[in-house]
Amino acid sequence: MTEPLLEVSDVAKQFGGIRAVDGASFDVERGSITALIGPNGAGKTTLFNIVTGFERGDRGTIVLDGERIDRRPPHTIARRRMVRTFQITKALSAMPVIDNMALAAPDQPGEHLTGLLLRAPVARRREKEVRERAHELLEVFGLSDKAEEYAGTLSGGQRKLLELARALMVEPRLVLLDEPMAGVNPSLGRRLLDHMHELCERDGVTFLFIEHDMDVVMAHSDKVVVMAQGATIASGPPAQVRSDQAVIDAYLGAQVKA
Amino acid sequence: MTWAPFLALSFEAFGSLDFWIGAMTLAGIYAIFTLGLQLNVGFTGVINFGQAGFMAIGAYTMGILVADVGLSLWLALPIATLVTMAAGLLIGLPSLRLRADYFAIVTIAFSEIIRYVAQNARGLTGGNQGLLGFDSQWIDVSNAVQDGLAPVGLEDQFLAPLLIVTWLTLLVLATALRYLQGTPWGRVLRAVREDEDAVRALGKNAFAYKLQSIAIAAALGAVAGYFLALNLAFLNPNSFEPLYTFIGYAILILGGLASFFGVIVGSVVVYTLLEATRFLELPLSASQVAALRFVVVGLVLILLVAFRPQGIFGKRQEMVLGD
Repeated sequence: MTEPLLEVSDVAKQFGGIRAVDGASFDVERGSITALIGPNGAGKTTLFNIVTGFERGDRGTIVLDGERIDRRPPHTIARRRMVRTFQITKALSAMPVIDNMALAAPDQPGEHLTGLLLRAPVARRREKEVRERAHELLEVFGLSDKAEEYAGTLSGGQRKLLELARALMVEPRLVLLDEPMAGVNPSLGRRLLDHMHELCERDGVTFLFIEHDMDVVMAHSDKVVVMAQGATIASGPPAQVRSDQAVIDAYLGAQVKA
Repeated sequence: MTWAPFLALSFEAFGSLDFWIGAMTLAGIYAIFTLGLQLNVGFTGVINFGQAGFMAIGAYTMGILVADVGLSLWLALPIATLVTMAAGLLIGLPSLRLRADYFAIVTIAFSEIIRYVAQNARGLTGGNQGLLGFDSQWIDVSNAVQDGLAPVGLEDQFLAPLLIVTWLTLLVLATALRYLQGTPWGRVLRAVREDEDAVRALGKNAFAYKLQSIAIAAALGAVAGYFLALNLAFLNPNSFEPLYTFIGYAILILGGLASFFGVIVGSVVVYTLLEATRFLELPLSASQVAALRFVVVGLVLILLVAFRPQGIFGKRQEMVLGD
């Protein structure tokens, strides 16, 4: 077996007296769909923030494709083709949908003043490619007719789709989704999941997602990582995790033996 | 109370060329000044309350380099611009990580520090006595331009050359900024305005873009400062009070957020009002008339915010959708 795409080892983070993450370790295999689950307050989102560089962990290491990425700022992590979405969608409301998409494209020399000045033709050519790719993805996600509208006019579910489509503009190897299904109606949610599978199977994109809906988790993930009180307490195939006693205790409360 | 004093109101000033040349020169200068604010506030979401400070740094650096150091004006201008941009980076580096409102407080404090230094470092800046003697090279150019204006009958207007150069510079800068907004660079700036974290999550260094925005705004402040210095022919710390930053904001709100040409129109309106109210013939003292000028601008702003909150050229949708 090849080495995992993402290796998280013994990560911890304390906010004042609260240990939000306290010894989290797990791997994400290449080309897999991994679910991160756990009761509210287990530290899932904080762990996401640490992995993507938005928070700095107190200890532990994070290795992406053989390279240490802990203590790096978020934008340099994203440039290594690991991209995240947010629990509360961050659509850039007062910008058109197409600009939301084009923004995310990597390797655009026109994003730098020096590049604009010295490599204008390259920037123009790249912009054309980017726009084509953006329109393709919008087509796939059924947002084509919204391309020129302000992102702020989209519905909640459409924003989630836009955020995933936008993340794909980065040409990611690993996509981290923070509760992609929350607040999405079932048919849109179904579409989101289909896209995830298709991207995983066809393009080999790896996914790590936080989810509360157990049916979704059990049906759509290759591996489940369970967190409780800041620590990872179990990981494995869905069927195995479902019957894990520590997991059941964490969700339902441990039985007090008389 | 009778209406008589108001009937004595004279509109003669509006018919005079002197009035319009003076007012439009100021409008041009403060439009350049406000282009910087527009870049920061309208396009990057950075609240810069220190624009008058950048203007002071540019103007004084230019003045000192020419009058005290003896450099050529044409060499002093680019150097002073670079110095002001460096000052922008210096203030931005430690404080742009702060939330927008805290950054605003830092910049207003910064601009006041600059003004107090200008007031008290008398050996360098002349303090309240002012700094003189930096514009002889400009006056040569100005005279030549003025002679050239004889065919159109403007040879008696000694301010006309400054008006022309200010407005040409303004139009070039506004066009350049507008072009930049259409580029991928401008797109990242606007995205930073919308949501910095989203931008960072997509692999863009939001902080670097905010720094660039401030540095360019500082440079625009400096350019406005040069024209102001040439207009007044001497530099005095009072020209750089925070009041002028806020006049810039009045222009910004009037013209509309996220529109560079709105800035130009806003500035023309504000400076026409400010200068015209100078000529009101009312039974009031000079200081009361001075206060009245701002009352008029304030009234216009209130009416505008009530009936057209997006300003003259702003996009209403961008205001409503900015979560």
